[in-house]
Amino acid sequence: MKRIFKDPLLHFLLLGAAIFVGYGFVSPRSLDESGKVVITQGQIEHLAAGFAKTWQRPPSPEELSGLVQDHLKEEIYCREAIALGLDKNDTVIRRRLRQKMEFVSDDIAAQKEPTDAELEGYLKSHADTFRTEQRLTFRQVYLNPQKHGDHLADDAAKLLAQLSQAGSQVDASTLGDSFLLEYEFTAVPAGEIAKQFGEQFPAQLLALKPGQWQGPIESGYGVHLLCISERTEGRLPALAEVRDAVRREWDNARRLEGNEKFYQALLKRYTVTIEQPAVEAKKSTEAQQ
Amino acid sequence: MKFNTTITSVSLTLGLAGCALPMFAADKPAITDQGEINPEAAGKAFPKRGFSPYANRNYPTRPFWGDQHVHTGWSVDAGAFGCSLGPEEALRFARGEQVKSSLGEPVKLSRPLDWSVITDHSDAAGVIFEIRDGNPTLMADPQIKKWHDMMASGKGVEAASEMISAQSNNKVPPAMKDPKLALSIWQKNTAIMEKYNEPGRFTALIGYEWTSNAGGGDNLHRNVIYRDGKDKADTAIPMTTFDSENPEDLWKWMETWEAKTGGSLLAIPHNGNLSNGKMFALSTFLGNPLTRKWAEDRSKWEPMYEITQIKGDGETQPSLSPTDEFANFEKWDQANLAGVPKKPGMIEREYARQALKEGLKLEDQLGVNPFKFGFVSGTDTHTGLTTAEEDNFFGKHTGVEPSAHRWDHAVIKTPQVNIAGWQMAAAGYTGVWATENTRASIWDALKRKEAYSTTGPRMTVRFFGGWDFDAKDAETRMPAEAGYSKGVPMGGDLQQAPEGKMPTFLVAALKDPLSGNLDRYQIIKGWMDAKGELHEKVYDVAWSGDRKPGADGKLPAVGDTVDVANASWTNTIGSPELIAVWKDPDFNPTQRAFYYGRVLEIPTPRWTAYEAKRYGIKLPKDVPMTIQERGYTSPIWYTPGK
Repeated sequence: MKRIFKDPLLHFLLLGAAIFVGYGFVSPRSLDESGKVVITQGQIEHLAAGFAKTWQRPPSPEELSGLVQDHLKEEIYCREAIALGLDKNDTVIRRRLRQKMEFVSDDIAAQKEPTDAELEGYLKSHADTFRTEQRLTFRQVYLNPQKHGDHLADDAAKLLAQLSQAGSQVDASTLGDSFLLEYEFTAVPAGEIAKQFGEQFPAQLLALKPGQWQGPIESGYGVHLLCISERTEGRLPALAEVRDAVRREWDNARRLEGNEKFYQALLKRYTVTIEQPAVEAKKSTEAQQ
Repeated sequence: MKFNTTITSVSLTLGLAGCALPMFAADKPAITDQGEINPEAAGKAFPKRGFSPYANRNYPTRPFWGDQHVHTGWSVDAGAFGCSLGPEEALRFARGEQVKSSLGEPVKLSRPLDWSVITDHSDAAGVIFEIRDGNPTLMADPQIKKWHDMMASGKGVEAASEMISAQSNNKVPPAMKDPKLALSIWQKNTAIMEKYNEPGRFTALIGYEWTSNAGGGDNLHRNVIYRDGKDKADTAIPMTTFDSENPEDLWKWMETWEAKTGGSLLAIPHNGNLSNGKMFALSTFLGNPLTRKWAEDRSKWEPMYEITQIKGDGETQPSLSPTDEFANFEKWDQANLAGVPKKPGMIEREYARQALKEGLKLEDQLGVNPFKFGFVSGTDTHTGLTTAEEDNFFGKHTGVEPSAHRWDHAVIKTPQVNIAGWQMAAAGYTGVWATENTRASIWDALKRKEAYSTTGPRMTVRFFGGWDFDAKDAETRMPAEAGYSKGVPMGGDLQQAPEGKMPTFLVAALKDPLSGNLDRYQIIKGWMDAKGELHEKVYDVAWSGDRKPGADGKLPAVGDTVDVANASWTNTIGSPELIAVWKDPDFNPTQRAFYYGRVLEIPTPRWTAYEAKRYGIKLPKDVPMTIQERGYTSPIWYTPGK
């Protein structure tokens, strides 16, 4: 018998019965005080506009009537739900409301149009974000560790000696082992090299002396012998070249800043008391003693 | 590296095998893939390089990596789970920046992605009130004009405070309540996509998810992806499931939109495994027989299928492919999305391989193959964080972001069904063979199915079909050159076999530089025989080491170097690269067929192993701690002549 009282289904049924009884007792007609629903012309237009925005044509009379009936049902359910307090302490509703406040806050922050001087200043003070990447032109010969086993280092050294002798202008595209990535890379940004060869690779490459075969350099695939023919350093571009990117970053910075200011302004209107969790409180009392 | 008897390509070892080193000036001959050379020929064999190695090259040279399935806090369910990251943060993260997760944990990808689609549920793209709109109706109200001016002059916070107190005192000007001033979240979304879309560097495609859970949790979800920009996308609010749960209505919506705007759309379904028999049903949504028109629509609007993601892998299932020892992989096959258990007969209509087979039969009956799709992956993350790597997995939603207990948290729980946190799959990304990193180029590649799916690793996978590939094509340094000139890439078609010819396939795969070596490259063939019966067969086509298939034709397992306790492995087994040419030994020119590639990595630690190590926890025996990551290429179809 005890178990029955713990059954969630029973709780649900009891709650349902209580609502039903309370409903009939407290409010014979409706939980909503006014008892009136007026669906205005404006609301109907809104429903029709919403339909047209999705379906790209106006609703037929039947469809519109369906929209109105559905809206009526939504209105009545919402009123009754609010009267029952079903909107209270609902995580989903609370998070949605918070999110809508964040939308409002975002929009306020996005309001201001920056001047060129402001963007110029942002570009200079965040030079690292906007500096163009270093670019490298190089050729590479790959050795597959699975095919060389213990001889890998030895084979690499021998091949390097021969490549060095042949010089930087030699076509080595058929040497080494089969490899699906390109043999020759032309003016490739360091980030692109990292995407194809792994994060560590560009730094290793940049440490090499251009104009001669060097290596071996290790990647996630195996080892590579490389010849860098050209290296272009990164530079800080003029605003006109990167205006969109600077504007985007500036906007984002203002957005985050504005959101924080907005929250702080609201926070000031409240007196906040945060009680310490029981365990924490005990700990801190003990610590004080 | 060895291949089975049907493989014509054998030698891959170029130049350096057994230390036969190539020579330039010395006197010993050397072996290269141009043959044996001697000093006299060396001048010819190693000419000075031409000026531009890219001359006349117009095919894709590397795959662009992305996730076509990311939810942010703007999805109602993700928001409800506590995700506070919006599309802006999600894109910054995909571009490689460090961000803070909703629970405050700093997070960054190992490498930036090349593109992304933010696919928040369209059911959340509804209207919100837009107070700073400079709408003339609004501006006629002096109070609103004042607030507008305050905001414009940088006093936004003050304006908002005034507005909030007006709201709480019920003194909001009537004009602000006018529903015609509503603005959709959709327009905010597309504005963000526009800002972060940087052709050549990072592509932000516009998209949304249409989330049909027909009949109470039967997953018929589709991601709708736009080729065009904000100007066209804003002309209509996305289709929602309040409008209709029937995919045919979505296709109609897409058709109308294209006709009005001149733009282009495609839809990608996912999680047939949670559709309780509906994803690839052999009848329409309303239960009517399939028609030619239906088949045309489905194949036109849905050229791709999301075959793998966090909520399980959808290639095939052990009961459908009993002889495929790799079929039992990351399965969520108990129920639908709402936890309604499956009944017999449902599994048959839920998995990609079976649907491809049924497609052959339907083509025979209807004249059009409705299930002629290629493969992509997505994460379907609801954290705003597209994490598909085992050592950096932020989970399905904010409730299962990293913690010592998430492995045990229920993801779907009903009296009959319990899917626990550890069953989440840290998957997956899509590799797109596009010529450039732009919306148009990536979208076009998806449309022609020249893309493939992986469970997370960024392995490079090529798959070409034609009539004339031979062993030499697997020995060249640029197999794509032969691939494109002698055949069709993944997603393509072979028709009416020339007299006496059989399909040949040039296959190649290169490991992810940060992940495990490769175990094997398989080709999966499905076909329909003369009696209309459907069949499938898995062929091992290229593999690492000197393994030999056993009496049962099966290749022995590659081995396992995973140290579970330390969540580590070594690449001492497997191969960094696999390449071969394969001929179909069982080809019958009168029978419809499809072929797709499946590439397996060696075993590596699964995310659960990293979790156990990081949190110092012990997981139960039934929790898998290793994984063989994989890639699936889009198929190539063979159709006999009339």
